[in-house]
Amino acid sequence: MSAVIEIEGLRKTFHSLRSGRRVAVDGFDLLVEAGQVHGFLGPNGSGKTTTLRALLGLVRADSGRMTVLGEPSPELLPRVAGQVGAIVESPQFFGNFTGHRTLRLLARAGGVPVSRVDEVLDLVGLHDRGDDRVKGYSLGMKQRLAVASALLKDPRLLILDEPANGLDPAGIREMRDLMRSLAANGVTVLVSSHILGEIQLICDHVTIISRGRRVAAGPVDEVLAGYDRHEYLVRVTEPERAAELLHAADLTAVVDGEALVVSGVSDPTVVSRVLGEQGLWVSELTPLRPDLESVFLELTGAYEHRSVPRQVDDSSLPHDEAVIDLDRGVDA
Amino acid sequence: MNLVRAELERLSARRFVQLMVVLLVFAFAVTAATTLAGSHKPTASELNSARQQAVDARRSMETTHQECLDRMKDRSPTDTSEYFADCADLDPIRQERLPIAADYLPGVFSFADQAESLLSFLIAFLVLFGFLVGASYIGADLTSGGVVNLLLWRPRRLTVLTAKLGTLLGSVLVLSLLASAAYLATFWVIGQSTGLPGRLDGDFWRSLGAVHGRGLVLVLLASAVGFAIATLGRHTSAALGAAAAYAVVWELGGRLVLEIIDVRRSDQLMLSSYIGAWLSGESRFFDPRLCAGTSGTGYCSGLYTLTWAPALLVLLGLTGGLTAAAFAVFRRRDLI
Repeated sequence: MSAVIEIEGLRKTFHSLRSGRRVAVDGFDLLVEAGQVHGFLGPNGSGKTTTLRALLGLVRADSGRMTVLGEPSPELLPRVAGQVGAIVESPQFFGNFTGHRTLRLLARAGGVPVSRVDEVLDLVGLHDRGDDRVKGYSLGMKQRLAVASALLKDPRLLILDEPANGLDPAGIREMRDLMRSLAANGVTVLVSSHILGEIQLICDHVTIISRGRRVAAGPVDEVLAGYDRHEYLVRVTEPERAAELLHAADLTAVVDGEALVVSGVSDPTVVSRVLGEQGLWVSELTPLRPDLESVFLELTGAYEHRSVPRQVDDSSLPHDEAVIDLDRGVDA
Repeated sequence: MNLVRAELERLSARRFVQLMVVLLVFAFAVTAATTLAGSHKPTASELNSARQQAVDARRSMETTHQECLDRMKDRSPTDTSEYFADCADLDPIRQERLPIAADYLPGVFSFADQAESLLSFLIAFLVLFGFLVGASYIGADLTSGGVVNLLLWRPRRLTVLTAKLGTLLGSVLVLSLLASAAYLATFWVIGQSTGLPGRLDGDFWRSLGAVHGRGLVLVLLASAVGFAIATLGRHTSAALGAAAAYAVVWELGGRLVLEIIDVRRSDQLMLSSYIGAWLSGESRFFDPRLCAGTSGTGYCSGLYTLTWAPALLVLLGLTGGLTAAAFAVFRRRDLI
């Protein structure tokens, strides 16, 4: 598959008189290949939006190499801009314009047929509200309008920064369906979001960023598999005794209320056999698979110090030995 | 071209622009209505009386001039007591204008007499309009993220900014031309119907055209300056603040300080001097040191002149510098 977005060694530092020097992105790499629905995750202030802004030429990178649809960005971005639909954070639209007029102006500025406006309003569910003024829109409706603006060009690459912001559950579901349908039609989608369950549902690949550096990248299943500790939840009548029996069978078992969490299990039948042989009958044996949220929190250090409010800059730096890149292997 | 059309639509849809146009129309309507209400068509006897008064006034000027010449001829070389040391100042031929009948027709609007001052009022409004609209057009777009939105579509910063500035200047020029044409036509009709048209000869139209042309240039420069300062400061308020700060700190405070420390020709350091010189063709300012060597030996006005050419150079230089700086900064700026 060909690379649609390639970022290598992106570095960006902001300087201000008030807060001094702040490294926003620190040697970040990203690879998005054609046809992927690629999730871009990171805690607040980790550099996601700065990365997207740099990629789209809105922020000048200090160093690094970026390409979009094969063209160096931002130098030759105008060559492919007609094929890239993007929203970065929540774009503000002119409140006095109607949704229809907002899109019509963008279409005109970008040389897109105005007939496309009705199509995209329909796609994002704003067809009946297109003639309302934007200032009367809810946050979710503004977000839909933003996505509509990104879709106007009928893009080959869609970059969406927090597209689910402000959407109600039905809206989130519609957005998910929309992205799936776009991907099915060959559109490559790069989507950043905090709603990790959504990312897990719609994305086939993921890149996680923390404090400006990549901490994990690759197919979602493989990233999750990398964090699978082969844990099982076991319910038995005497959990303490069961734990002792499992310890004796070289398994790690921790009592958690009325159940046990057993880790390092390569074959779950061993658990039921060990306990059954001693007359303890297992009423539940459930594999505890890692989800994206737990992996994300672990990778970005957000699990630590639960009793202390976590600050945005408290995220972890990547562990030297464990930057997971399942597309390229493990970086040292 | 598509970009310019889109920008034109955005500009015309701005509430602030619409409000300023409404204000312009309102001011225009009030001025026209009060003029109409305060003017009447002069009767034949009023006209005859006014003509006679004008003739008398001109004759009086000639008499005063002649008396001055006679006194100068008779006075001794050491007599410096005369107030009018130079009779040329009294020469009717050298006056900017001579009394005419319209000067003696109270309550009668004369288009030829008042067109220039009416046009100056319109130009002053349009200068303010251009500056504020120029500043708010880019300032609001920068703060609201409109520019970022546009750059996602057209990732060519200089093209986008040029389109915006071009659209602004083109729109302000067209509006100024339309407004001044409607304005002058309305007062011309008032002059024809309930007043006097006055002497509308070639000189009048040439003079009015020159004022109009210079005024339009000033309107465009003010628009570009507002646009440039708001671009540099990222906010509409940057332009408003810079203009207010300049007026208070430099034109008022700075002028006072320069006078206290006796800086020679401090008017030359004030932008308002160049604006005045450009609009009126030339401005005269007082420089007491010009008369330092002539004390007691003859008449010295102590005035020096600032003409339109250097004034235009200064205004163009300032506007060009600010605009170039705005483009240079916008080209490299992080748009967050």
